[in-house]
Amino acid sequence: MSSEHSPSEHSPSTDTEPAAATTPAAVRERLDRVTDPELDTSIVELDYVEEIQIHPAGDEGNADRTGDADGDEVFVAFTLPTAWCSPAFAWMMAGDARTEVESLPGVARAAIELRDHMHEREINRGINEGLPFEEAFPDADGGVESVRLELDRKARTARQHDATGALLEAGLTREQLAGVTRSDLDFGDAPEGRVRVWVREGAVAVETDADPVERYLRKAEATGVLDDEHPELFRTPEEEPFDGDEVELVRQRTRLAGVNMGGQGTVCDALNDARHAEDRPPLSMREGTPVRPSEEDRADAD
Amino acid sequence: MYVTDDGEELFVIDSHVHLWDASEENITHEGGEQFIQCFYDYHTGFTPEEKQWDLDEYRQYGADRMAEDLFGNAAVDMGIFQPTYLNDFYADGFNTIDDNAELAERYPERFVLNGRFDPRDGEAGMRELERQKEEYDIQGVKLYTAEWNGDSKGWRLDSEESFRFLEKCSELGIENIHPHKGPTIRPLNRDAFDVADVDDAATSFPELNFVVEHVGLPRLDDFCWIAAQEPNVYGGLAVAAPLAVHRPRKFGEIMGELLFWLGEDRLLFGSDYALWNPDWLVETFMDAELTDEQRDEYGVELDIETKRKILGENAAELYDIDIEAKKEQFRTDGVADDFDLGDHYAGGTSATPADD
Repeated sequence: MSSEHSPSEHSPSTDTEPAAATTPAAVRERLDRVTDPELDTSIVELDYVEEIQIHPAGDEGNADRTGDADGDEVFVAFTLPTAWCSPAFAWMMAGDARTEVESLPGVARAAIELRDHMHEREINRGINEGLPFEEAFPDADGGVESVRLELDRKARTARQHDATGALLEAGLTREQLAGVTRSDLDFGDAPEGRVRVWVREGAVAVETDADPVERYLRKAEATGVLDDEHPELFRTPEEEPFDGDEVELVRQRTRLAGVNMGGQGTVCDALNDARHAEDRPPLSMREGTPVRPSEEDRADAD
Repeated sequence: MYVTDDGEELFVIDSHVHLWDASEENITHEGGEQFIQCFYDYHTGFTPEEKQWDLDEYRQYGADRMAEDLFGNAAVDMGIFQPTYLNDFYADGFNTIDDNAELAERYPERFVLNGRFDPRDGEAGMRELERQKEEYDIQGVKLYTAEWNGDSKGWRLDSEESFRFLEKCSELGIENIHPHKGPTIRPLNRDAFDVADVDDAATSFPELNFVVEHVGLPRLDDFCWIAAQEPNVYGGLAVAAPLAVHRPRKFGEIMGELLFWLGEDRLLFGSDYALWNPDWLVETFMDAELTDEQRDEYGVELDIETKRKILGENAAELYDIDIEAKKEQFRTDGVADDFDLGDHYAGGTSATPADD
C-alpha cells in the first residue's frame, strides 16, 4: 500500500460499471487515500482504522438504513492516537473518509465513527449529517480550511525535499533546480515510473524516479503554488521562488519539515501503541468522574 | 551526577520536573481525566516496560517518591519545577508553585522553583506574579498557552495582555520564560501551541530568554527557523529525549536538526518527570549517538562535551547556578545521606581538595 493521496488530490471515480459488491479491501483502498494531515501519511498505514462493516443494499438487518439508498452502506470506525488529537485534524480525517468511501460506485452511504475522542460526539454528528465545521463547533473561530491549507503547505515543503533530492542526484545543477518549471517535466516520453526534466532550454534531459516528483506535484497543486504568476516549480517554505545560491538553505529547511513530521509520527506511533496495549486502564470516563460543566457554569467562571 | 565509565562526571540539571496531583478527588472536569490519561499514554508509550508505573501511582506520587526518583534512583543533581495549573480541570490545580514548594523547601539547594502567569487573569494575575516573586524569588515562569480559562481556550504570547506580563517579568528580574509548545490539543480549529507567537515576543524582549518546551514538537520546523534568527530562544528537550529509547535514529535526526539550527549552547535536558523517570532517560541520552550519515548530513557532534552542556551547563547559565559551588555544597546537604549515595560529591575531577 503506497498510496498517500488525500481526496483533494483525486478526481472522483468516473467508474460507471454496474456496481460490483463492495468489498472490505475496496473500502480499505479508499481509506488508504485519507491522510493524517499532520503526518502526511495514510490513516490505514497508521493503523487508525479499527472496523469496517458493509451492509449490502437490501440488507433487512440494517437498522440504520435511510430507505433512499440504492447501494451498500458502509460503516467505518477509527481511533486516533490520543483523545486530545486536534479536533480540526480529526474532523478532516473523518470527513475525508466519508468522501472517499462514498466515491466507491456501489456505496450509497458511509457512516463514520470516530472513537474515544474528546469531541467524538460533535465530530460524528457533524460528519454524518454533512454539517460544516462551524456548525458542529459553534465556539470555534472559523472553519478548518485554513488549517488544512497550512498542513498542506508543510506537506508540500517536506515532499519538495524528496523531489529536489532526486533531481539533484540525477545530475541537475543548483541553478537548474531553482529554475525548473512545470513544463520542463516530461512524464509521457519517459519509461514507466520515470520522469524526464528538460534543462538547458530543452537541449538536455535528466531522468529520475517519478514518484517523489508526482507526490510533490499533488501537494503543489493543492496549495496553489503552480497557479502562481511565477513559473518556478520549487519554492521556499514561504512559497517564494529562490535562486541557485539559496538552494542549500532551502534544502536544509525542507529537510527540517520532513524531520518534524517523522518526529511527530514517532510520538503518535507510541501513543497509538500505548492506547491499544492489552493491559491499559480504560480510557473513557471512569465511574464517578465529574462531567463537563454546562456553558452557563463556564460563562460564570470568566 | 552522571559518571561515565571513564570516570567523567556530568552535573545534571533536570530542567523540567513536576509534582502533580491528578487524583480522582482533585479532578473537576472530564478534561482533567483525559489530560492525565494522555500523559499516561506518553508514559507507557516511551518508558521501557520494566520501568513503567501503574496509573494509580501515576496520578499522585507525592514528594518523597519524587525526591527519591530524582536523587536516589537517578543521577539528577538539581531540578527545575515547571508548574502547570489547569484550574479549570483540577480543583486545587494540577501542579502549582505552592505544591512544588513543598519539596523545594525540604531541599532548598536542589530545586529551582518557577512560577507562571496567565494574562487572562488580569490584575489579579499580576498580583499573583508579584507574590510568586516575593515569596519564592522566582527566576522563571512556565506558560501554558493552551490552558482553558472560562470561555477562552488559549492565549498568545504576542498579545497585548501577554506583553504587559512579560514587561512585568522583565521589571521583576524573571528572565526565563518557558512557553509550553507541544502537541496540538484544543482549542478546536486554532492551534494554541503554535510557536509563531514566540518570534515577536523574543524580538520585543531581548533581555528575556525564551525556552520553548518540547522544542515545539510537532512544530520543530517552525521552532528551529525562529530560533535560528532569535538568539534568546532556547529549546527544552522534554518529550524529544524519550524518542531515543525506541527510535534512536529518529532521535539522532532531531538532535541533528537542533544542533544545526540552534547549536549546543541553547538546548536543555528535561525529563518532564513524572511523565518519565530521569534514571533511564539520562542513561539513554548519554548512550545516544549520531550515525556517521547524520554527522555528515548535519555537520554536528553529539559528543560528551555537547551532552555536558545539554544535561546541565546550559541550564546553569540561564539560572546563574555555579556548578562547582553546588558540588561543594552538596557534599554536606544531606541528600547523599538520605539516599545512600556515599561520597557522590567527593570529587575526582574537580579542583577542590578531598574533604577528609
